[in-house]
Amino acid sequence: MPKDDRPLILLADDDPSIADTLAPFLERAGFHVLTVSDGAAALDKIRSRRPALVILDVLMPRMDGREALRRIRRENLWLPAILLTQVGESSERALALEEGADDYLNKPFDPHELLARIRAVLRRARPGERSLSASWTLSALDLVLDRKARRASLKGDPLDLTPKAFAVLEYLMTHPDECVSRERLLEAVWGWEYPAGTRTVDTRMAELRRALNDDPESPRYIETVPAEGYRFAAPVKGE
Amino acid sequence: MDPRSTLRDLLIKAINSRVTRFVISVLPLAAGLLATIYVQNFLDPVPILAFRVDIGIAALLFGSFLTLLLGAYFFGDESRGWFARGEMDDVRREMEENRRQFIRRLDHEIKNPLTGLQAALVNMSEASADADRRRAGENARHALERLKRLLADLRKLAELENRPIERLPVDVPALLEDVTEAVRSLPAAQDRKINLLIARVPWPFPPVTGDRDLLSLVFYNLLENALKFTARGDSVEARTLEDGKAIVVEVADSGAGIAPAELPKIFDELYRGVNARGTEGSGLGLALTRRIVILHGGSLEVRSRQDDPRGTVFTVRLPAARK
Repeated sequence: MPKDDRPLILLADDDPSIADTLAPFLERAGFHVLTVSDGAAALDKIRSRRPALVILDVLMPRMDGREALRRIRRENLWLPAILLTQVGESSERALALEEGADDYLNKPFDPHELLARIRAVLRRARPGERSLSASWTLSALDLVLDRKARRASLKGDPLDLTPKAFAVLEYLMTHPDECVSRERLLEAVWGWEYPAGTRTVDTRMAELRRALNDDPESPRYIETVPAEGYRFAAPVKGE
Repeated sequence: MDPRSTLRDLLIKAINSRVTRFVISVLPLAAGLLATIYVQNFLDPVPILAFRVDIGIAALLFGSFLTLLLGAYFFGDESRGWFARGEMDDVRREMEENRRQFIRRLDHEIKNPLTGLQAALVNMSEASADADRRRAGENARHALERLKRLLADLRKLAELENRPIERLPVDVPALLEDVTEAVRSLPAAQDRKINLLIARVPWPFPPVTGDRDLLSLVFYNLLENALKFTARGDSVEARTLEDGKAIVVEVADSGAGIAPAELPKIFDELYRGVNARGTEGSGLGLALTRRIVILHGGSLEVRSRQDDPRGTVFTVRLPAARK
């Protein structure tokens, strides 16, 4: 039998209707999928099989996804992780970031969206290295983001940002060089769908650019990708 | 724990207990009685007034007066509690009834798309032609979208209960311009006129303190509703002015109007009026809209007529931010 060189994905969800339908979908997309139904089993499999990526549901028996992720990171395992949150509260998402999830999706989600997230996260991943999502301080050119204190500064001067604008900047900086659609930003930062949402995003982006003194024509930080979304163009370092 | 505060708590509890209150009330009467007996039996009555009221009787009178006073005060306090308890029972009954009604309506809202989904899945597995299968897939997706929208709106409503809202200055006319622009791109807007009137003379608008995104949801919902319940050729108008205390936004349409009997219920969660039976939507839009307006310290009212000239006007009042 030839060696399986498809990337191995570990899917941890206690609901069989989700695991049983997502696994074949991801297999068709060219991944090798392993499913487990609780956090403790996920931890075991990560130690023994070293998957390329783990997808964790938050609410699971025995050990929930958040606790599992915390332990994974404590063992210095820096494999990319996507958290499937069930509760739509923004605090939940902030927590997901705090525990070092590389991305997160709200249930219910379109499986294609999950696939897009998996590919983006794998592309960004530097195996064995601490990911930007798990870093407390992010810096790019003159910009420094202190995620714990929720403060940003440019050349040492503090920036006056609304909490939303800060969250947008945080999401962009933890996903550098990735084209982030307005819909994705809405879901990740606002957590809600807004009917007039794309404008909502553009308003915040204008606020951010003013604060960063970034010229949309020749941006140093945030690029507009026509008809697609935004991209954080400056190289980001995490600490 | 601080021992002094425990002592104070104990003292307050003791004073508030019914037994203590009774004892305190009766104490003056008893003291007066004792004083009378003491004076009558052991001392020679000492006249203090010309018509021979001795000091014992005086003490008795004073004691009973005090007892009456204290008793009346404590009784008043107690009975207020009884009335409040009655009101609480009413409120609880009403909440219980609301909850039951909400579940009935929710059941109804879930049943329809689920039936559609079930049928679509059967069609998908039994149909032989590719075109039929594709149509079944479309139907399934449509039913799914309805369920997702319902779930999303339910979650919004739940989140509004406990998440802090942003409190920043919001420029309402600019927000209305954005929202109107977004609504104009909806398919239903293509054959209806949408006007936006902003009363800018003589003063610029003061800002409103609040959450811009939530407020945009308010105006979007009202405008989208206006489009839903109007026909081709009808007009929809959004207008705003400030009256010194508040910013007033009206969203008006020349549509079919709402029956007077339905008018008080349209803000209820999942309530659907007769006209709304066939339309898309989660049935939570107006409930959500009102909730957001109230969170901003404002009010939302509606006027509607079904006879000629017919139409509906929603009025949002949001307190202007103080300088």
